[in-house]
Amino acid sequence: MNKRLDPNESISKILKMANALVKKPDENAVADRTGEPLKVAVLGTHSIQHFVNVLRLFLDREGIYADIYEGEYDGINMDVLDDTSELYRFKPDVCILMMRYSDVKLEKKEDVDAEMDYLKNLWSHLDKITGVTVLQTNFALPVVRSYNGLEAAYEESFGSLLRLLNMRLTSEHPTNVHIVDMEFLSSYYGKREWFDEGSYFLTKQGFNMKYLGPVAYETARIIKAVHGKTNKCLVLDLDNTIWGGVVGDDGALGIELDPHNPIGEAYRYFQQYVLSLKKRGVILAVNSKNDEDVAKEPFLKNADMILKLDDIACFCANWNDKASNMHYIAKSLNIGIDTLVFFDDNPAEREIIRKFCPSVTVIDVPVEPEKYVRALDEAAPFEWAAITKEDMARSDSYIENAKREAMQASFVDYNEYLKALEMRGKCGIVGAAEIERFAQLTNKSNQFNLRTQRYSEGEISVMLGDADTRCIYVSLSDKFTQYGVISCIILRRGNAENGFGPDDCFIDNWCMSCRVLKRGVENFAFETVIAEARQMGCKRIVGEYIRTKKNSMVEGFYARLGFEPMDNSDRVLYSYNLQKEDKKEKSWIQRVD
Amino acid sequence: MDTKSRLEEVFREVFDDEEIEITNEMTADDIEEWDSLTHVQLIVAVEEEFGCKFSTVEVMKLKNVGEFINLIDRKTGNA
Repeated sequence: MNKRLDPNESISKILKMANALVKKPDENAVADRTGEPLKVAVLGTHSIQHFVNVLRLFLDREGIYADIYEGEYDGINMDVLDDTSELYRFKPDVCILMMRYSDVKLEKKEDVDAEMDYLKNLWSHLDKITGVTVLQTNFALPVVRSYNGLEAAYEESFGSLLRLLNMRLTSEHPTNVHIVDMEFLSSYYGKREWFDEGSYFLTKQGFNMKYLGPVAYETARIIKAVHGKTNKCLVLDLDNTIWGGVVGDDGALGIELDPHNPIGEAYRYFQQYVLSLKKRGVILAVNSKNDEDVAKEPFLKNADMILKLDDIACFCANWNDKASNMHYIAKSLNIGIDTLVFFDDNPAEREIIRKFCPSVTVIDVPVEPEKYVRALDEAAPFEWAAITKEDMARSDSYIENAKREAMQASFVDYNEYLKALEMRGKCGIVGAAEIERFAQLTNKSNQFNLRTQRYSEGEISVMLGDADTRCIYVSLSDKFTQYGVISCIILRRGNAENGFGPDDCFIDNWCMSCRVLKRGVENFAFETVIAEARQMGCKRIVGEYIRTKKNSMVEGFYARLGFEPMDNSDRVLYSYNLQKEDKKEKSWIQRVD
Repeated sequence: MDTKSRLEEVFREVFDDEEIEITNEMTADDIEEWDSLTHVQLIVAVEEEFGCKFSTVEVMKLKNVGEFINLIDRKTGNA
């Protein structure tokens, strides 16, 4: 079966496929349906029946097996405000609230306040569902304007008030609420077609049915970003990808990058877009068939280059095959190869990567350079659940890593080097400032992760209120970089679920960003773990290692920390006696409050 | 292909039944799967197939398949 499903495919075809998936899931599903389904509730002020079917299809094609609860027509209040409703019995992981402009009465600014109060009330009601993620649509501005050309000139026009409401959704939504940008989608496809008054009056379709595909696709991708894997690094070719021509033939100054030439402008536009990705946290790497010195020359000598050498975290220019280089890039950045996105103008190279690195996302690059930006943007390979301040600083920290390594080379003794880094660390209980990043790291980290337990932000906020649970974060900075939160630990008092007693402190999750390996962060954090476990009144700490494909680096972690292996045939367990005196490890991290 | 045969194809696609044969007198009562949900799907599929758009009144007034064929012919200039 063809896995790729174009959201712009004709709606009758999409509906037919959606119905086939409902009727004969075994024959038509692409996602693995053996595990627990993701529970998704769809509630709307308009008809959602067709949307539900189409969403199920797009989720399936994103690899998500979903069990969908379909709310009653216009049943948002009934379901959300009544704690005994079907919705709360269903206990969704994701709850989608679909609304349209005709639901809101906006005549003055105070009405926007009232609408925000209403929506916030809905969200806080939904918070009672442990770990729920809410997807709230914003409002597509209508195609009619009673103020005509003055609509945008007056704050009290309906259009202006709706814009204000959308802006307030952007600034005031809590972190477990994601905004589905219907205003963008309607503009992208064109509002004249987007709104179909007839089908709204006739069967209460919130928007033209031919856009069910795009809306379901957008929604499914957000759900995947919250509950699945996300990409981290954009790997770029050089010749005819970020500049026109071949640097080896044309020279560093002869390549096409002149802002006064349409072709040069197209490549600069692409570089500008790539730079904006880097600024939001995407790591950049180069994978090019060139001599390294020649490939770097434009970055150093051509003033028209927008991307600088410092923007590239891993520069891989050689005559090896590009598939091997992809592995090298993933390894040197300490990220999974399945988090790489490949952008290369050469179809043959793309084919090689597809074949030999099937987990890499390969962008279909159009022939014309002026279309590069749209191709990359529309493929949206970097759909993330959130962009944290750690993300925005991240791509630079990879580059600073390279400088740090250069410094390391000048020290004979590793301890001397650690000392010279002037590290400062903070370790404490998660609060409002850390929760978003805590959830992100808990869901993203694969290698340094002892049990690989994934928790949504909603689930974590429930844990924060639980007396028998401690969520501990570690943040770190050194003379080069502010890393922010780089390690997450969850402690739980022993109970029937984890299989231990009330005197035991069980380490439910311990993960760390690989950017700070071998800095003593683990020992630094362990001091806090010990203190918290004692404060909980526990007599021993129990740690567990659950093997995954990616976490072999922490197999012996607890033994290194001074834990004793426990006898257990089913699980890999270690214990640490809290009634003995601790061995103090030398740490180069200065503890700050 | 005439309108009726093309419409029949659309019916077969939407109701996922290769054996449907439409008649002028046929109504929603004659096809088990023809409910308000599939009706919306049917209208969208017909609009796509024939490249036309029906108004609210036109859709509401439809009594049977025969009228549907006439409507399509009128909209596409076949009548």
